Amino acid sequence: MNPATMSAAAAAGVSVMSVAPSAYLVVGTILFAIGLAGALLKRNALSIFLSIELMMNAVNLLFLTYARMRGDAAGQMVVFFVIAIAAAEAAIGLAIFVALFRARQTVDVDKINFLKW
Amino acid sequence: MNGELLVFAAASAVAIVSALAMLFQKTPVKSVLSLVVTFFALAVLSVLLAAPFVAALQVIVYAGAILVLFLFVIMLLNLTQEAAERETRVVHRFLSAVSVLALGGILVGVTWRSGAPPVPVSASLNAIPATGVDGEIPMLGRLLFTDYLLPFEALSVLLLLAVVGALLLSKRRFE
Repeated sequence: MNPATMSAAAAAGVSVMSVAPSAYLVVGTILFAIGLAGALLKRNALSIFLSIELMMNAVNLLFLTYARMRGDAAGQMVVFFVIAIAAAEAAIGLAIFVALFRARQTVDVDKINFLKW
Repeated sequence: MNGELLVFAAASAVAIVSALAMLFQKTPVKSVLSLVVTFFALAVLSVLLAAPFVAALQVIVYAGAILVLFLFVIMLLNLTQEAAERETRVVHRFLSAVSVLALGGILVGVTWRSGAPPVPVSASLNAIPATGVDGEIPMLGRLLFTDYLLPFEALSVLLLLAVVGALLLSKRRFE
């Protein structure tokens, strides 16, 4: 953050951050990349789902960082909605996995290919 | 240098290391437990970003509800023997690693070089108060029931649909 924006932020009533906001953004991005790697590399559907949860949390961190940088609570509201939707998604997704396991006795994504051909 | 930097460094290191542990664990249960540590570290980072309410929400909803649901399903399905299978997809793994490293590198580079977004001139309505939790929760509640009322109501319908859908999916037979 350059001095001009910092003084503008102070004028707008935003307390100045002593850690560079870019550091938070980089941490969030690294976590997103780790989650993406998990989603691509894991074979267990539950582990893939777990990696997607990590990706959503990484994006939440970015939203919070931008909310802090702008001094605007809209980013926090988006995080609130993301968390609620993630809860709904987890309930449905896990129910699908349970139903799938009942039908196929596996949740390995390499073996769940009955929609492929 | 100062407290914020120390806490930030510690929490980020814990978050990234436990996320990597989640990536390299073979059994799903250990992956979930590693991710719990990541979420707690992310809650610490949220507190640093002046969002203590979101941090509490993170711990309660993510670590407390969603991941417990994961553990419950993993133990219900008894996936331990399946996780020990040998990895055979060499090309797939190579391409995945290359694309993840490329995308991650690009994203890290872009976010590191990007400056601050413009600070709003009159940050009156949505401004994050500097008084911590006492000022934050009333403000979030007011926003939730004014500017974000329609998404909030849509969200309640969505949660109801999720409950009905989960019940329907976990019935034994579809008739």
